[in-house]
Amino acid sequence: MEEKQEEAAAVINMKFKISIILVFICSFSFSQQIKTNDSTSTYKKRVLETTEVDFLMSYYQQEGNHASVTGGIGNEKLTDITPTFIVAIPLSDDNVLTVDAGISAYSSASSSNLDPFDSSGASGGGDDDDDDDDDDSGVSSTKGSPWVESSGASAQDVWGGINASYSHSSNDRNSIWSANVGFATEYDYTSIGFGGGFTKLFNEKNTEFGIKAQVYLDTWSPRYPTELDSYIEANQNLNNGFFSDIDILNQSGNIIDKNGSDIWSPLNTTLIDDKGRNSYSVSFSFSQILSKNAQFSIFLDLVQQSGWLANPMQRVYFEDRDNYYVGNASNIPIYTTKQNTGVFQLADDIERLPDSRFKIPIGTRFNYYINESVAVRTYYRFYTDDWGLTSHTASLEIPIKFGLGKFTFYPNYRFYNQTQSDYFAPFDEHLSTSEFYTSDYDLSKFDSHQYGLGFKYTDIFTKFKIFNFGLKTFDLRYSYYDRSDGLQSSIISAGFKFTLD
Amino acid sequence: MIIRRLSICVLILTMLSSCVAVKEYEKVNINDPDMKLVGLSIKKFEVNFQVYREGASGANGGKTGGGCGCN
Repeated sequence: MEEKQEEAAAVINMKFKISIILVFICSFSFSQQIKTNDSTSTYKKRVLETTEVDFLMSYYQQEGNHASVTGGIGNEKLTDITPTFIVAIPLSDDNVLTVDAGISAYSSASSSNLDPFDSSGASGGGDDDDDDDDDDSGVSSTKGSPWVESSGASAQDVWGGINASYSHSSNDRNSIWSANVGFATEYDYTSIGFGGGFTKLFNEKNTEFGIKAQVYLDTWSPRYPTELDSYIEANQNLNNGFFSDIDILNQSGNIIDKNGSDIWSPLNTTLIDDKGRNSYSVSFSFSQILSKNAQFSIFLDLVQQSGWLANPMQRVYFEDRDNYYVGNASNIPIYTTKQNTGVFQLADDIERLPDSRFKIPIGTRFNYYINESVAVRTYYRFYTDDWGLTSHTASLEIPIKFGLGKFTFYPNYRFYNQTQSDYFAPFDEHLSTSEFYTSDYDLSKFDSHQYGLGFKYTDIFTKFKIFNFGLKTFDLRYSYYDRSDGLQSSIISAGFKFTLD
Repeated sequence: MIIRRLSICVLILTMLSSCVAVKEYEKVNINDPDMKLVGLSIKKFEVNFQVYREGASGANGGKTGGGCGCN
């Protein structure tokens, strides 16, 4: 009996000792963990030291004579203002949340002619300011012109978008995970985007490899050229609806008999049958420090798009179909010139493009630090896709610092060229037997030159304050763009970067 | 042919990554803001209009498609 009691006491004693040891081990390891964490947090540099707020804005304008909404001819005047906020918030030593929100408010002469017969356009009151009496030669008060801007609902629009991205860096800062989600909308288009990426640094952070995947799920709320929309709405009867009070002219300028055989009708009465447009991309990047003064990177994107890839607003005219007009007959012979302010050709169809497109852009950057005042930034990209379009892009920028690095000038030049897409033809040169067609000059053969100058002011002490935010940098940039098809544009951008004190 | 070219590229990149590493304290020039291997944030709007006005896009840190009615 006593032996059993001794054994039990020994077991209890043993259990007690084991418990003490376990508690000690746990406490020790926990305290070590705390010490480890403390020591890490003591010496680990934050990925982003403080909240940063960027306010960016640009004003863009362009002029050209190849409006795609009117089939490859017409006024391409466009202006666009884009205020944008980008806020980067350090959530912890390793995690950063970035929110990018902005709008793009534009007015476009090309888009305005979705309905060229709007009363504010060529159909508006008053003479057309030329010296002839063509205003009396028309047979209908309704008229339009690809060269005259209307101001219907499609003349202005606001694009709005918001994107949030989150990044997490490992303790040694050699691995970075990121994820993003975004939403954008304009009056005929909405987009949902999301993606993720991973970046790995090797070789004492001299080498970097990144991979990123991105998906956009977009949806058209299609708007069509008014004559096509109205024709379908009127059950393809020119005596009904929009056309009931409008005279239609043939190529000779004579009014057609709407009940006869010589009448206008579009090639297709089926417009968009798939409102989705999805884009899937995988991007690879590799960068390498070559020396104390030089580094380069290579980017490769693989992009697959599917769905309705054409723009339902854009008209197409066929060479092998008769032409019909609304407006002043005397303007028909000068239809493709700017002197035409009073007649509009009825569309044969909207542009039609394949429901799939695979793109491969490959780009490289090489930057060289010449001295504390001058560096060289270079970029080259080769692009090809299965629509027959290939292009080369090259740019050079030379940042020049002065005033002890407080001020920097950025003279820059960019060259771009592209071949014509398989589906492009100019105004009235397509054949109706083709399966796909567009007269959008953005898909034509051209080259372009862009000249620019930037200016940057940097104040590392952020002396100028707004509330608790100090101004760190101010950027101003101007670029002039000249395309060989006659399109010219310019853009001025400004950016303020503030940091939270 | 494509596989061969890619293999050569990978080989060259591997060789480059085996160059003598520049130490952290030697990266003063490399870490200059103007030496970043990405487009400057103020160029965001230029890239945006180029995506609209040109048939090519991507490989520049900007959008590769989607998000707008452009290409």
